[in-house]
Amino acid sequence: MSGFFDGLLVIELADRRNQYVGKLLADGGARVIQVEPLSGSPGRHCGPFVHDRPDPNACLDYWYYNAGKESIRIDITTPAGAQLVGRLVETADIFVESQLKNALIPLDLDYETLAQRTAGKLIQASLTDFGQNGPWRDLKANDTSHMALGGPMGSSGYSDPTVTPIGGQGHQPWNVAGTLGAHAIVSALIERLTSGIGQYVDCSIHDCMSICTEGAIPAWIYSGQVLHRNTGQHASAVGPAAGRLNIRAADGRWVNTVATQLTPYLWANVLEWLIEQGVEGELADPRYLDDVYRATRWREGTEIQEAYARLLAKVPSYEAMHRAQGFGLTWSVIQSPEENYDHAHWHERGFFTSIDQPGAQAPVRFPRGPYLIDGAQFQPRGPAPALGEHTRSVLSELLGMDGASIRGLQESGAI
Amino acid sequence: MEAGTLPTYGSGPLSGVRVVDFTWWVVGPWAPRLLADLGAEVIKVERVDQFDGTRGNSMLGRRARSGRPVIRESPNQSGGFNNLNANKLGATLNMRHPKGLELAERLIAKSDCVVENFSAGVMESWGLGWERMREINPRLIYVSLSGWGHSGAWSGYRSYGPTAAAISGLTYASGLPGAESAGWGFSYMDVQGGFLGSLALVSALYHAKRTGEGSFVDYSIIEGAMSMLGPYFLDFDVNGRKTRRPDFPPGNRSIFPPLAPHNTYRCTGQDAVGQDRWCFIACETEEQWGALCHLMGRPELARDQRFSSNAARVEHQDELDAIIQAWTEPLPRYDVMSRCQSAGIISGVVQNGEDRVEYDPQLRERGVYPVIDHPELGPYGYEAYAPKLSRTPAKARRGAPLYKEHNMYVYGELLGLSADEVTQLQNDGIV
Repeated sequence: MSGFFDGLLVIELADRRNQYVGKLLADGGARVIQVEPLSGSPGRHCGPFVHDRPDPNACLDYWYYNAGKESIRIDITTPAGAQLVGRLVETADIFVESQLKNALIPLDLDYETLAQRTAGKLIQASLTDFGQNGPWRDLKANDTSHMALGGPMGSSGYSDPTVTPIGGQGHQPWNVAGTLGAHAIVSALIERLTSGIGQYVDCSIHDCMSICTEGAIPAWIYSGQVLHRNTGQHASAVGPAAGRLNIRAADGRWVNTVATQLTPYLWANVLEWLIEQGVEGELADPRYLDDVYRATRWREGTEIQEAYARLLAKVPSYEAMHRAQGFGLTWSVIQSPEENYDHAHWHERGFFTSIDQPGAQAPVRFPRGPYLIDGAQFQPRGPAPALGEHTRSVLSELLGMDGASIRGLQESGAI
Repeated sequence: MEAGTLPTYGSGPLSGVRVVDFTWWVVGPWAPRLLADLGAEVIKVERVDQFDGTRGNSMLGRRARSGRPVIRESPNQSGGFNNLNANKLGATLNMRHPKGLELAERLIAKSDCVVENFSAGVMESWGLGWERMREINPRLIYVSLSGWGHSGAWSGYRSYGPTAAAISGLTYASGLPGAESAGWGFSYMDVQGGFLGSLALVSALYHAKRTGEGSFVDYSIIEGAMSMLGPYFLDFDVNGRKTRRPDFPPGNRSIFPPLAPHNTYRCTGQDAVGQDRWCFIACETEEQWGALCHLMGRPELARDQRFSSNAARVEHQDELDAIIQAWTEPLPRYDVMSRCQSAGIISGVVQNGEDRVEYDPQLRERGVYPVIDHPELGPYGYEAYAPKLSRTPAKARRGAPLYKEHNMYVYGELLGLSADEVTQLQNDGIV
């Protein structure tokens, strides 16, 4: 299996905020060694667990974000432990961590020290909540607080202005910052091919989320508009939306009926379908054949959405999606994530990678990730490691340590 | 025809990289924009007869705050377009004309990357599929961002951001338990999907620079969306647990790990459109919970059996949330946040666009919305490349290109046509 990052060595200081960076690099073929505290990465303790039995080696969240990595257990708060990490980083291309510089300086793991020890070649990326400077640098945060502060929550929720805004599930701030952190690392790698010199990447999760809200910032900057949340659809700069995009179908499932433009071709097909079901109502009026009138009514009225509701009350969700997509209308069923396992389309594309994961009774079907590449792979390369599974092999292979030295470190409590 | 204002290159980590950008709307343009921020020369190629839809997207603002006159007919005054396409150059091309296709091929031969976000099959219909592009330029990176991918039974299907969110599970995973899905109030996968597309571009570029090998990346945005939800897939595959269950989605509460308090709480006042103000608060440790009790002036709660451990608080979180909201409701939102943060408690105001631009001192100090001047719009902030590279930082060089602004540079300077030839191409409707 080949990958874009073959031959790269990454040392990752375990943290839930940065593990997606390591995953992306590992999926692309890099060797990623995660340095965990003796109790294991915080990512091992959040759950869900296999059969709901708490076990640091059986956390499914950890499995997903750490498949294909190696695990080495080191107590970096001990001088010997910190020294070991420094020596490991000397062998690496990339060091990923989630610490403020002040915390790393006493450990000699700050960028300035490590860059000197690697002749300037190191790329060090720090994914922190608020970055390395600024008045909020030391504030406490988690993934959901970033959904609030960064803006996604402010745009998402329900049309009722008294109901709480909502942050979507799935640790999205860490996914976004992980993606942008990896982007910066790979860009630094490209530059290093020419200069031979690495650099430091200061990646703030708050900064990353704050550029991830589509229209909210331009609406304020250019027009002084604050967006109003709308149930199941985009927040709007012109107050609550008139119509609804998510509509319940005959089988009880919801269908998203988004369309940015109902072209004459799309409209002809929609109208034919509505008439076929006897629910066209006033939409048979020739005025709706006029593009501008139709677009205005779609945006400002409710009669098109009401006709969709009458149609979908008669048609099951998937049948509706397939018929609409058959003529180019972008409808889709609102599915739960796991319902995607049922669709041949994703299996035909090899989206699920079966991995023999110790602790699971059968091979586990991991989502592959976003890319299918001609001639290379970008997917989980193996199981998630057990805590400290590779401590001995890594110290032996990368640092040339013998059994006696490793035992000494164990006895001192450094590993 | 003017050559247009050219950006200054040279300092970014991707200086010297050229990208042909056929993207439009939102998800596509983000991918190459991140490369432009880092110094790549990104040439946005629009159709001769129809500009990128975002240029006409009035929702994103034409009520200019700069005081400059607004030209309703201008395709150059969309704030959304300016945000998404800053630092790029702009050209136009008729890909359906043989001469236009020939120019595209000549441009591709001189470039490192091609990126587009058409539905599967569109590039092939122009005669510019991957096989042809690889013939023209064996070192080429071609990243295609499509909703459903280029293969599989549903490869012909179409998608916008909300489509991808709905089918992937993202929409379902956002809402109050037992209520209709709230979903995402913006196209999350147009933005994060664009970031992932950009990561594909630089990753393939790194590979090409090391090996001399080009790559075709078939990037399905829906697969990207599903990969943002990995643990839910594994929970079903290993434990058989479905997310269609009474406690999911949990609103703003936390299920894995179970934590309480962990929610949004109403504060005093409303925003400019009449929506209540909110602040998120979470306690992940007993120390934080004790500090919150003290802060609320309710130290006895820490000893109350209903709230004496995290497990007990999770069990009684309806009562707990009511108590906390009774404390926050009369207080201004930033006051709640600063009191909590001073006591070491996780908290964050639910900020909207106004809050982040006007009142967030962190974003201001970090320069997240730097100002760029634009010839028609004037000086406006835009969303900058977020990570800070110490030696070769991203830079705001110029605003988004005017429609057709760099045709002379692209077809004249890069492809070697004379000014008369370019003018003739324009008169013929080819550029």
